[in-house]
Amino acid sequence: MFLVAIWLDRSQPAQSAPQTYAFLFLYLCFALAAAAATWRNWWLDARLAVPSHIIDMAVFAVIVFSTNGYTSPFFLVFILPLLSAAIRWGWRETALTALALVVLFFSGGILVAGSVSFELQRFIVRTAHLIILSSILIWFGIHQRFTSLFVRLDDFDSLIGKTEPTALALRVAMEAAGANQGTLLARWEGDSSFSGLRIVDGSVETIDRADGLVNDAAFGGAFLFDVGKNRALTKTARSWSRFGKLLTIIDPAELNRLGLSEGLVAQLRSGTAEGWLILEGIPELSIDYVELGRELGRAAGSVIDRSALVSAIEESVAAQTRWSLARDVHDSIVQFLAGASFRVEAIARAARSGKKVDADLAELKRLLVEEQTEIRSFVDALRRDRAIEIAVVVEDLRALAIRLSQQWSIHCKVSVEAKDAAIPIRVHLDIQQLLREAVANAVRHGEADHVVVELAVEGDSLRLDVIDNGKGFGESNGSLVEPWSLKERVDRAHGSLMLVSKPGRTDVSISLPLSGAT
Amino acid sequence: MTRVLLADDHPMIASALEMLLRGTDYQLVGRARSGKEALAQIDQVTPDLVLLDVNMPDGSGIDVLRKLRKAGEERPIVLLTAGLDDPQLIAADDLEPDGVVLKTSDPALLLECMDQVLKGKTWVDPEIVDRTKAARQRLSSLPALTPRERELVELVGQGLRNRDIAARLGVTEGTVKVYLHSIFDKVGVGTRTELALRASALIGS
Repeated sequence: MFLVAIWLDRSQPAQSAPQTYAFLFLYLCFALAAAAATWRNWWLDARLAVPSHIIDMAVFAVIVFSTNGYTSPFFLVFILPLLSAAIRWGWRETALTALALVVLFFSGGILVAGSVSFELQRFIVRTAHLIILSSILIWFGIHQRFTSLFVRLDDFDSLIGKTEPTALALRVAMEAAGANQGTLLARWEGDSSFSGLRIVDGSVETIDRADGLVNDAAFGGAFLFDVGKNRALTKTARSWSRFGKLLTIIDPAELNRLGLSEGLVAQLRSGTAEGWLILEGIPELSIDYVELGRELGRAAGSVIDRSALVSAIEESVAAQTRWSLARDVHDSIVQFLAGASFRVEAIARAARSGKKVDADLAELKRLLVEEQTEIRSFVDALRRDRAIEIAVVVEDLRALAIRLSQQWSIHCKVSVEAKDAAIPIRVHLDIQQLLREAVANAVRHGEADHVVVELAVEGDSLRLDVIDNGKGFGESNGSLVEPWSLKERVDRAHGSLMLVSKPGRTDVSISLPLSGAT
Repeated sequence: MTRVLLADDHPMIASALEMLLRGTDYQLVGRARSGKEALAQIDQVTPDLVLLDVNMPDGSGIDVLRKLRKAGEERPIVLLTAGLDDPQLIAADDLEPDGVVLKTSDPALLLECMDQVLKGKTWVDPEIVDRTKAARQRLSSLPALTPRERELVELVGQGLRNRDIAARLGVTEGTVKVYLHSIFDKVGVGTRTELALRASALIGS
């Protein structure tokens, strides 16, 4: 367009006409080539952003020279880099571009100041135009900031699951809007009334109310309010302003009770709760905040939904742990006590028929003492905090190996290559039960009489190797038969099991994750 | 001597039973540690009476009982168990074992039960009789789940998310939510986790 303009204007270009035409033609070719190269190529588009921006500014400088500065239709070339800076980046880059262009224009003007056609007044007016246009585009760049407001909210992510969800959602919204007072009212699925909290200058109070807050559906998404002037302002779907009277939208008694004055109301958008956010003390409150309010309603809702998800996961982990513990108690303690009562009955019958029962009683006593030790270590593990030192795990495992050696008449030895590590209770209980089952398999199916137990911490996992000298696992359809009960327990603990078996050496290698277990 | 086969995966029970049978007319002739092993040993050792634990790997005691009943096996079969949940109680009752003994009851009752079943009678621990009755009542008092609802409960029990369930059943995610709420109300659970944990009991598998 610039090329056409100076071609039509006989007075231009004032200097070096053929070179200017050639230069502009080259620039046109460059622009077309860049457009073709970056068409649907976001990578190249981003890569070429800064170089092409500098080229645009350089072209502006050359044109200012060649078209005698202020009289040329240079505005076209001036707007291009400024607008692209405002669209691409933020207000700082736009301001820098504007400054560079004004300096270039000014320098061009001073260079040609001595020429015949120079008019000081027009030069000043045009400079003023440049400054006004720059200011508008810088303002445009500043108001793009809403899109980047949410970036700093990432810090709040780590608090999900640790902080009360409504308080966290409200803090997120207040931080994003720069508000110093905030209220969040929410009603959870299945609840009949709303509850929430209000934060004023850092202090928190809880509030309850029976009904919804906003009575007018047209103001449902987000709106600005001013209680003193009875005003409410929102935007329609077509971005037109909609004006309303606040007292018809929110019950005046409620406004008094919440002590509201001026701010933003936004509907909470969540899958698990419904409610409103009220933000006050927002500096530079403007109609742009209506759109921001809608986004904040979504962001606060997402915090609440994600918190609900985290607590559902925790609830599920706790339920699984309970089931797992119940199974352990059933598998070991209940079965043991049943066996013990069978023995007591047998001993009582033998005594009644006049047989000697001393040896049977001694055996029963030994079994009871052993089981007592097992139960004590089980209860100790439950009583301890969420994790225990590996030294304690090893100590318990060694004691268990001694008991297993006696129970199955084998040699069972524990060897450890573990550094300092904290072992979750669940993993501690699991490896004990896994060792019992692995040794039982080795003796029953493999007829082993030597078992070596190796324990090692590898990264974020605890590895348990149970190596025996038995005849090994059988094969079914060419693949090894997996130890069923071990596999089931390992799967439940989200671990992995590897089996290497040949006559004379079977290695059951189990890896259990240390994080995520409780 | 009456030849007895015990199928139980817990070592303490086997050694204790062997002791208990000492000096009686019973002789422990075999021991299986899984359902599969139990079926194989019944053919090999030809016992006169079979004692089956319920919770065993590779086929539960109830699975073994079902197979033996299907095969027309007539020798007495006694379930020996530390506890049964509602579906197991009902499944066991339907298969009519000759005896059911709780490991947690007086061990003298086991010998009493074995004596009775050898005479061709049925002997079920009184506690099991009461609990089976209660389980049947609970089942009948539950509003029946429709086949579609049962399918959904099964998928929740497998840990699938609503989106996956919707894809499996060829409905929208919203429909799955509506179904789930109706199931929550029917079976009286408050959360999805609770439903998942009770899934197998609800669909009776």
